[in-house]
Amino acid sequence: MMEPIIKIENFTFYYPDSQAAALAGINLAIRPGEFVGLTGPTGAGKTTLTLALNGIIPNFQGGRLAGRVTVAGRDTATTPCARLAGIIGSVFQDPEAQLVAETVEDELAFGLENLAVPREEMRARITMALEMVAITGLRHRPLSQLSGGQKQKVAIAAAAALQPRILVLDEPTSELDPRSSLEIVNLLQRFNRDYGMTIILIEQKVSLLAPLVPRMVCLHQGRIVADAAPRQVLNQDQLVAELGLEIPPVTTLFRLLRRAGAYHGDLPLEVDQGCRELERLLGPAGTGAFPCRRQ
Amino acid sequence: MPARSFLHELNPLTKVAWSLAVITVAFAFQQPLPLLGLWASVLVVALAGGILKTILPAIRGLIIFAGIFILFQIFLIGEGNTVFTLIPGLGFGRVTDVGLTACTMLALRMLAMTSTIPVILATTPPKEMIVAFVEKLRVPYVYALMLVTSLRFIPTLQEELHLIVQAQRARAYDLESRNIFRRLAGIVPLALPLLLVSVQRARTMAISMETRGFGAGPRTSLRTSTFSALDAGVIAACLLCTLALVLIALR
Repeated sequence: MMEPIIKIENFTFYYPDSQAAALAGINLAIRPGEFVGLTGPTGAGKTTLTLALNGIIPNFQGGRLAGRVTVAGRDTATTPCARLAGIIGSVFQDPEAQLVAETVEDELAFGLENLAVPREEMRARITMALEMVAITGLRHRPLSQLSGGQKQKVAIAAAAALQPRILVLDEPTSELDPRSSLEIVNLLQRFNRDYGMTIILIEQKVSLLAPLVPRMVCLHQGRIVADAAPRQVLNQDQLVAELGLEIPPVTTLFRLLRRAGAYHGDLPLEVDQGCRELERLLGPAGTGAFPCRRQ
Repeated sequence: MPARSFLHELNPLTKVAWSLAVITVAFAFQQPLPLLGLWASVLVVALAGGILKTILPAIRGLIIFAGIFILFQIFLIGEGNTVFTLIPGLGFGRVTDVGLTACTMLALRMLAMTSTIPVILATTPPKEMIVAFVEKLRVPYVYALMLVTSLRFIPTLQEELHLIVQAQRARAYDLESRNIFRRLAGIVPLALPLLLVSVQRARTMAISMETRGFGAGPRTSLRTSTFSALDAGVIAACLLCTLALVLIALR
């Protein structure tokens, strides 16, 4: 088994002037090349956890803390944020506020300039990052003319240009329409599959997350309450209800069927799986009790 | 910046040099007519650069400002022959020929000097400005970045303000009261959310910059600031003209 690239040991964090722990006794190990979905209700500590990973906590955001966070062998408490920048890339929720430059090219150059990458290599890396995100055509466009989805892609490309081994995304789709959200999510899947990038995706929309990630971590009131494959997590009725997880409609249907005693198998996460299960229950599509034909 | 002209090709510092030349000449002359000529020359440069239309609103604002400036000054100068009096019976609001000339001169001087600023801004991408200042004038990068980032945030804030106005209107908040005091008080519920949102935004941006290695140490730059033959020519021409005009003015 590979050595974890991210190791969080007994990590507890209090924001200044706060009596309640934002994170309490977190233990989490993530291996290189994993694609982890992180979910939970608002205020569960998801954002705090990402800030602990990229070193913003405790380097930039102070507070009381205990425990240790190690990223690629470096303790985040003693490594400056700028050092971590080449290892762990971060993308945030607000497409507007996280961009600093005027044009797409300058935005991608910003991080590379900070890390003193030579000019020729910088050009090559910008070209590559734009290709990875498939926005080569936007290179010389001013950021003010881009849509929210495009801006978010630029933010991802800007992180990718630094060639980090890990990418942490804090609800990158929360301000996007469903179509752009899906594009972003597919993009991340490609990053993970083709470049072996370790990805941690924070996402409230479990229906987007569940079919995508092999591993889902649920946070609730600063604690990890579940860490398993999405299907196993969604199997826990009480947990789903308590956290108010927004689960895929097809999964809801089969949970209802199961509660009624009509279904006993694994919960499907995608419509296609659901259709197969229905066929098995009711006979092939287009016959008898299941007259509608799958497209 | 779609229109490319020789003005866009110039190094930002060359344009600053031109601006300084205009300021020097403006101070050398004491008569309204040469200053009018100087102001006209600035507008001709804008016209040649194809940006006169773009900067027209800014110029209009400067003219209004100059008008207010004249109104405040003109009644304070008592020397010279009276041209006319605002309220003849009381002798209040006396305008003299000396006052009229002096005020016109000051207003035109101000117009000539300040009109160069929109010309520079309209033809220079902020990034080029940063690079030129940091590379050639050794201005610390952080200061240059601070200036440009604040410029970038203006449209974002406008959008945000628009949103807040809509939100307050939707809750029947009266923003168009005729009473000036109520109208001024009405700014508070707009300014406060805007301030809070901006602080939040600034925080996010700072975090985003940290995670991309800001302040890691010595940095490189994608673009570089170069002086071309055109720049050298323009700077030489500015120097020569300034020298000649100052000599004429002081003769």
